[in-house]
Amino acid sequence: MTRYVVPCGTILLCLIAYWLSTRFDEVPPILLRGMQPADFPQMVLLLIIALSVLVMVFDPPIEHAPIGLNAWTSMGLFAVFALLAQIDLFLGLGVFAGGLAYAWGERRIWGIGLVSVLSPALIFLLFDQAFRIRFPRGLLTDLWYG
Amino acid sequence: MEPLLAGLYALLDPHLLVLLFAATLGGVIIGALPGLNATTGAALLLPFTITMEPIPAIAILTTIYCAATFAGAITAILINTPGTSASATTCLDGFPLAQRGEAGRALGMATVSSTIGGIISVVCLMLAAPLMARMAYNFAPPEYFALTVFGISMLATIGDGTPMKNIIAGAIGIVLATVGKDLLTTVERFTFGFNELSEGIGFVPVMIGIFGISELLVQADRLNGEPKLIHMKAIKLPSRDDYRRVWKTILRSSGIGTFIGILPAEGATVASMIGYNEARRWSKTPEEFGKGSVEGIAGSEAANNSATGGAMVPTLALGIPGSPTAAVILAGLMVHGLQPGPTMFTQQAEFAYAIFWAMLLVNITFIFVGLFGAKLFARVTFVPVQILWPIVFCFSIVGAYALDQSMLDVYIALGAGVAGYFMRRFGYSVVPLAIGLILGGMLEKRLGQSLIMLDDQWWLMFTRPLSLLFFVLTILALFGPYVWRLFKQRDPLLSTGE
Repeated sequence: MTRYVVPCGTILLCLIAYWLSTRFDEVPPILLRGMQPADFPQMVLLLIIALSVLVMVFDPPIEHAPIGLNAWTSMGLFAVFALLAQIDLFLGLGVFAGGLAYAWGERRIWGIGLVSVLSPALIFLLFDQAFRIRFPRGLLTDLWYG
Repeated sequence: MEPLLAGLYALLDPHLLVLLFAATLGGVIIGALPGLNATTGAALLLPFTITMEPIPAIAILTTIYCAATFAGAITAILINTPGTSASATTCLDGFPLAQRGEAGRALGMATVSSTIGGIISVVCLMLAAPLMARMAYNFAPPEYFALTVFGISMLATIGDGTPMKNIIAGAIGIVLATVGKDLLTTVERFTFGFNELSEGIGFVPVMIGIFGISELLVQADRLNGEPKLIHMKAIKLPSRDDYRRVWKTILRSSGIGTFIGILPAEGATVASMIGYNEARRWSKTPEEFGKGSVEGIAGSEAANNSATGGAMVPTLALGIPGSPTAAVILAGLMVHGLQPGPTMFTQQAEFAYAIFWAMLLVNITFIFVGLFGAKLFARVTFVPVQILWPIVFCFSIVGAYALDQSMLDVYIALGAGVAGYFMRRFGYSVVPLAIGLILGGMLEKRLGQSLIMLDDQWWLMFTRPLSLLFFVLTILALFGPYVWRLFKQRDPLLSTGE
């Protein structure tokens, strides 16, 4: 199944990208030196389309084990992180880290505390103090930034 | 001679030496941790080097590269789990030897072979890189374009994917490199109204995503099964008998590793496989291979460590990465505003030689790290993945944010991680994507410059001897394996390997 689905998906995405590239601004011919901005990406997209067709025809199909529950849970936690990061980046990181540790079988309180509270806090302090990185303001970071 | 000494002098700063020692230990730990390797380690640590001066920043990345490659052998021998893919062949003989109660001897052999291989390759790097750069000094845009095409064509043979899938992954990387303002016309492409995308997609978040975050998902599928550590009393340096048996193997594998490393995009994994096979082919006792042969360990370890020095030759001299980790280091060079290529050895010679010295130093340090720390570092492998990977994720996300302090980069890293996971699952290696992303901009720029230079008559590129040579090499790299397979099928002697 994936023998056709993945190359077809790739071709579809390339066709969309190709269509988008036809909407790029063009340089008037009199000023043009070399290529139009769309020429190069279009050339590469056509190469990908051609190779994807060849993959469908010639490449042997691969047998896959189904994606495991842990991988799906982890991807679900990515989504949770992406949403919580809108409120506060480190809140998102803490919830993600604790959730991932629990989902992967960690049941010790100190273990979950270590990854969800201590490690994001230490990483924040390291980047804030040593590397002078300014993080986006949020629920928790405002406690530090005031 | 003067830049050579200036480079050494720059490296002898005590703070830098302490930093490099810490990076060596960090690299060994990264190499021993489950799922992490030199490429992931370098990608994760790249954001930490942003605020540093170029010499310490790149010296740290190259140190991580060398140390993590070396450390793969420790876990390969003691728990039959290669810390990095480059050490997979070390398992074949290292673990059986350890099971026979000779773990110390196996680790001693791996340490000495790695050190000698690494030193030989760095010496080759010191000699070959400036020569290659001098040769490239006369390249015009068509030659550079042809060389970059050749570098990209070598992607066909790397990673776990088939050649066609590798090229597709590389081409996707090239398309991603076109996001942002076109260099020649300043027209915006694929930016979807995001101002942050005008400068293009950053290398760092994509690398963190495809190497770090996608590995988290791969690890999620492998949560079961705990490795067993083989106990050893102490590491043993090879005996005189062992040296007599393996010195030729070490030299041969060092040569092979350095050469493979120099080839664009080929890295330590391929080098170790060829080094191991050649060690078996030339051995007087090939029947011992796979059952605990010290020659097997030496062949594999000398080759994979020498590939690190080799891989830095095209990276620094031509701006074409010699391996996946070299691609991350190349990204680091670009982030620091350094331009790899011929001018590096004229305008930034002190920097280039400081990097060479750093690599030499780290290779010498392996002896001490291997002798005194192997037992301890092998225990690092037992850090529970449910503790390790949430912390790696936090570092990945903060690292992706740190470079441009942009939340968009966080989401790019996350997206690249998920995309990288599915690519790997469907047989598309992520390494070509990373290299395509780095070389894509360069490829387009050089094509544009070539067309301007040749007055839009692109076919004139084939009339220039050097660019023609690179195009011929490209065709050989792409179609050579197929032609060879065809020959093998027709010739019964070749197909049976006699």
